[in-house]
Amino acid sequence: MQLLIENIKLAISAIKSNKMRSFLTMLGIIIGISSVIAISSIGASAQGAISKEFEGYSSGYMYIGINWQTVDEVTEDMMLTPDDIEALRHRFPDDILYAAPSVGIDSVTKVGRVEGTLSINGVAADYTRFSKSIHIIHGRMINQNDVDGARNNIVIPVDAAKKFFGKEDVVGEILPAEIRGNSVDLTIVGVYEIPPSIFSRMDTSTSYTCYAADSTVMQGGYDSVRYIEIFATEDKDIDKLATSFVSYLEKYKGVAKDTYSYESLEQEVGMINTVLGYLSVAIGAIAAISLLVGGIGIMNIMLVSVTERTREIGIRKSLGARTKDILTQFLIEAIILSVIGGVLGTTLGIGIAALGALVVGVDVVIRPSAVLLAVGFSAAVGLAFGYFPARKAARLDPIEALRYE
Amino acid sequence: MRELIQIQNLDKIYVNGKIEVHALKSIDLSISEGEFVAIMGTSGSGKSTLMNILGCLDRPSGGRYLLDGIDTREQSDDELSYIRNQKIGFIFQSFNLVPRTSALHNVELPMVYGRVSAEERRRRALSLLESVGLGERYMHMPNELSGGQKQRVAIARALANNPPIILADEPTGNLDSKSSIEIMEIFTKLNRENGNTIIVVTHEPDIAEFTDRIISFKDGRIIEDRPAERGKVSGKEGLPCNC
Repeated sequence: MQLLIENIKLAISAIKSNKMRSFLTMLGIIIGISSVIAISSIGASAQGAISKEFEGYSSGYMYIGINWQTVDEVTEDMMLTPDDIEALRHRFPDDILYAAPSVGIDSVTKVGRVEGTLSINGVAADYTRFSKSIHIIHGRMINQNDVDGARNNIVIPVDAAKKFFGKEDVVGEILPAEIRGNSVDLTIVGVYEIPPSIFSRMDTSTSYTCYAADSTVMQGGYDSVRYIEIFATEDKDIDKLATSFVSYLEKYKGVAKDTYSYESLEQEVGMINTVLGYLSVAIGAIAAISLLVGGIGIMNIMLVSVTERTREIGIRKSLGARTKDILTQFLIEAIILSVIGGVLGTTLGIGIAALGALVVGVDVVIRPSAVLLAVGFSAAVGLAFGYFPARKAARLDPIEALRYE
Repeated sequence: MRELIQIQNLDKIYVNGKIEVHALKSIDLSISEGEFVAIMGTSGSGKSTLMNILGCLDRPSGGRYLLDGIDTREQSDDELSYIRNQKIGFIFQSFNLVPRTSALHNVELPMVYGRVSAEERRRRALSLLESVGLGERYMHMPNELSGGQKQRVAIARALANNPPIILADEPTGNLDSKSSIEIMEIFTKLNRENGNTIIVVTHEPDIAEFTDRIISFKDGRIIEDRPAERGKVSGKEGLPCNC
């Protein structure tokens, strides 16, 4: 223990007396560790932001529709109608909380001299009960009366309200639009707001996502769709539930097996996590290479140091240092060198991650496990690459070493 | 007097490729506790080789070397390290202080390897530096000290673990005559007052005359083993310097 403290002091003074050289030696480790920390934190932050994004939706959210992997040509009997949805709801009354055709159209609108594109999604009543990211700030959401009467009512985002009318509360105002070739005047019944997220920030499209009753969007003889949107109960295994919905629909419609497929929120999140996982592996490989290079740098400088201090090693041996004592001394020097590199690299990495998170606008997530791993790993690099030079030092013949000039 | 060093029929052969160098040839020598001995000889006479073997830095090729009753041939490297640490204090011609390390810390070093506690190390190192007249300069680095001062730090370091034997290899070789006398006077004092056994390797007859016994080497053999002129030893205080 005594000797350990002594060795640590010794290592620090040796590193201090060669500041520039020590720093350059550490650089490899610093770059390796900081890139690992930065990328892993950015990955974790992105993951955190994405799961937060999906928190707006209930986990029972799913799409059911044509399976493009098996269906080459969509025939009329495959198309899903409101009747089919009704049958599905009837078959699974406890599991389906919301089911509606997924239908949307784009329409150009013009108020005065201001022009813009509305991306109108058809929804059934109660949509906001399940899609929790939509906050109505003025008026109301599409309701059952709108759906039943196919009323020309619309809910628009607050930035559209500001653009077209220069104010937020525009309930009662009219937006002219074109739905399936017919000019219609849509009455604004509600204005909503979506909390800012990485997706909305990255969204560069100029169209406004609006909501209208699905019956309104489907007017003019179009009564069948390729997809339906479902919110199912969150209590059950969503994959099992979706599979049973799909096979029921296939039986009910009398179409071939695998005509329909589903996409659930869980699948999407899983896919994103898989991509992030691959990214982590790639980064890990790069980090391993840079740490290897850093380790070789440490080995190189330790060999130089051993040669430079040959005489000192001889003196120490003549004063009673054992082989083990010299080995420990140089090993500790290598470990401290790389651990300092590891700590500097971690600090730099956190800095980079924080900066990156600030730019993208998400909360920075630092995993303590990643930090511990990085510092532990750099110590291991020091141990592994410091061993050979330290052994060389320890094995020096004291007489030869004392004679060394 | 107890025999501290017993050497019987000692051989040392260096093999360098195909050339064999017979550095020591059948040496017999014994040195008792409390003796003050000079080993003299020209370079290549084998005196440095003997010094390395006496100091347990090197092993003999043949024969026996008993140090304080321990047969050094049977010791492992770590055991030899322990002997060097506890029983021998080295003093070198080129001082061999650890660079960029204070005088104090240099003196503490043997005690670090001897597992002495930090407070005790510091206390003892300070008192040793005090006794060699460097009490004020304990924080100085080796390159801030003169040759004589460096050698005095080295003496303090050699005494750190209070070893019975001091081995000095040409201790005055790099010093001016005034410093040389100072160093030899310290040795004399240590021998007379502390009872240390002191072995000085030198090629200078004047330095050898400070001791009690002079052993001369030539071509790997002892050619002379005689007492020093007692007159010079006893009259050291008024010694005229003719070295």
